[in-house]
Amino acid sequence: MANRALYLKFLSAVLLFGAWEVAGRIPVSFAFPTFLESMGALFRMIGDGTMATAYAETLRPLVVGVAISAFLGIAIGLWVGLSSFFEWLFSPIFIVMQAAPLAALIPLLVLAYGIGLTSKVLVVCIMAMPVIVLNTAGAVRNTPESMKEMGKAFLATDLAIILKIVIPAASPVIFAGLRLGISAGFIGAILAELKITPTGVGDIITYSRSIADYPSMYAAIFSIILLAVLFLNLLEKIETVLFKGNQRGYVSD
Amino acid sequence: MKTLLKKTAVAAIALGLSVSAAAADKIRIALAETPSDELAAFFVALERAKANGLDYEWTAFSDEELAIQAVLSGQMDIGFGTPYAAMQRSKAPLRIVFQLSKLKFFPVTTKKYSSLNDLDGEPILLHSRGGGTDSIANVIEDRLSMKFGERSYVPGSSNRVAALLGGRADATIIDLSNKNKLMRSEAGSNFNVLEMFDVEASDEALFGNLNWIQENEEDVAIFVEALVSTWQDMHEDPTIIRKETNPDGPIGQLPKEILDELDGFYSDAVEGGLYDPNGGGRKAAQADMEWYSAAGQLEGDASELNIEDFWYLAPLDAAMNK
Repeated sequence: MANRALYLKFLSAVLLFGAWEVAGRIPVSFAFPTFLESMGALFRMIGDGTMATAYAETLRPLVVGVAISAFLGIAIGLWVGLSSFFEWLFSPIFIVMQAAPLAALIPLLVLAYGIGLTSKVLVVCIMAMPVIVLNTAGAVRNTPESMKEMGKAFLATDLAIILKIVIPAASPVIFAGLRLGISAGFIGAILAELKITPTGVGDIITYSRSIADYPSMYAAIFSIILLAVLFLNLLEKIETVLFKGNQRGYVSD
Repeated sequence: MKTLLKKTAVAAIALGLSVSAAAADKIRIALAETPSDELAAFFVALERAKANGLDYEWTAFSDEELAIQAVLSGQMDIGFGTPYAAMQRSKAPLRIVFQLSKLKFFPVTTKKYSSLNDLDGEPILLHSRGGGTDSIANVIEDRLSMKFGERSYVPGSSNRVAALLGGRADATIIDLSNKNKLMRSEAGSNFNVLEMFDVEASDEALFGNLNWIQENEEDVAIFVEALVSTWQDMHEDPTIIRKETNPDGPIGQLPKEILDELDGFYSDAVEGGLYDPNGGGRKAAQADMEWYSAAGQLEGDASELNIEDFWYLAPLDAAMNK
């Protein structure tokens, strides 16, 4: 079974990259490089250290933003899910944040927080946090009532009920929220680098575009997607280790 | 299933063909920015071309690179910008037909510095990496054998002026109209405009795909003629831009404050040599080769580059001989 999954993954990668190569060779546009050219550029940039410097820059707002969003997001989500007062207080904020067209709000963020790290972290948080909070809250609210009653019948404290019943029961949806939130965080980090000041990977994208080095531009985009996919797979592994018995079909199957 | 696939494929191709056939009637112009005072002269030329039978539509892109990409992929016919790197690297047959404006930018600093040499090792604020002001900085370094300190990037001359005024930067390079606005304002006395060599290279030029240009020779001729006549008339009398601006057009719809400043803007621009009344041509092409290879956008030695690989001069020559 594991082999079949691996085989299918490999096949879809070959199909996708094959289609890319073909589209690049036709070419669909003079601005669209082939897969092999892009990979060449990717390895060249990894080799000469461009990528490492760029990621050192890009990962800062990304890691800080995602970490804040994950911890704060789950905490607020639990809170909102457990108390209807806090739901009333907080959930509209996150619904608005989720619906807001972020790119249009960037000038406001820059006005308030300047062009530095703060603005970029905020962009990541605005992208990542709402999904995490809303998913967590929804999951917590939907804990099976019978389980909680059972906990009460066994005289469990409130804390024990939350830690041993509510969170494990909610974990699949919390993790689904985390996955969605973190992929949104990746989008936010790149958006910030393209829209606020070009640094890191965003700088490679804009700079290669302005000197018409399209293979490097696509290589940079490809690398960030690859990183996001790898990170999501890692997150899934963490979930399986932390909450056994919740495994269901996900990306990595 | 197979027939269904076939049918969809045929339908898709037919749709694609009909779209491109429908679009062939109008020429599609890719602007690198939304219509502003700087584009007023261009729109006057468009009005003149329209009177001579040119049918066009324009789309404003958020930056020059997107406009170049749209022309590269054939979604737009004629674009705005200086796509030298794209011409050399992507093997696309792009050619410039007209120089719209020259790279007239000015190093402006606080009173801390009084000449370009003072900026050796000092941080400077520029538009974007690989952009026009970046190339100016490269050439300054090259000619004066100096090296700027850290370069940071803030797109838009007016934003860089704001950074200067806010004390967040001590040195930057800005365009003619923002330089004039800043130096004529009350705050002007706090800043220096550093003396710099003259630049003849293009900032914005009109370019298209060579195959498209040759297939639409007539339209391109009307367009280039209109541009040449507008640029020459503007040199005689900069106020024609304001007079000829179509009140219902994209420039005519701009706020009155901006329209009132058009005369001043174009008088300054003509005086400052921002526009070449002869559309650039060989002189501009030669200057561009030298400039952009010195700035690192073109590879190879300027003397070995062939003008014909970057410019298509026939329409401009024809217009100049009229």
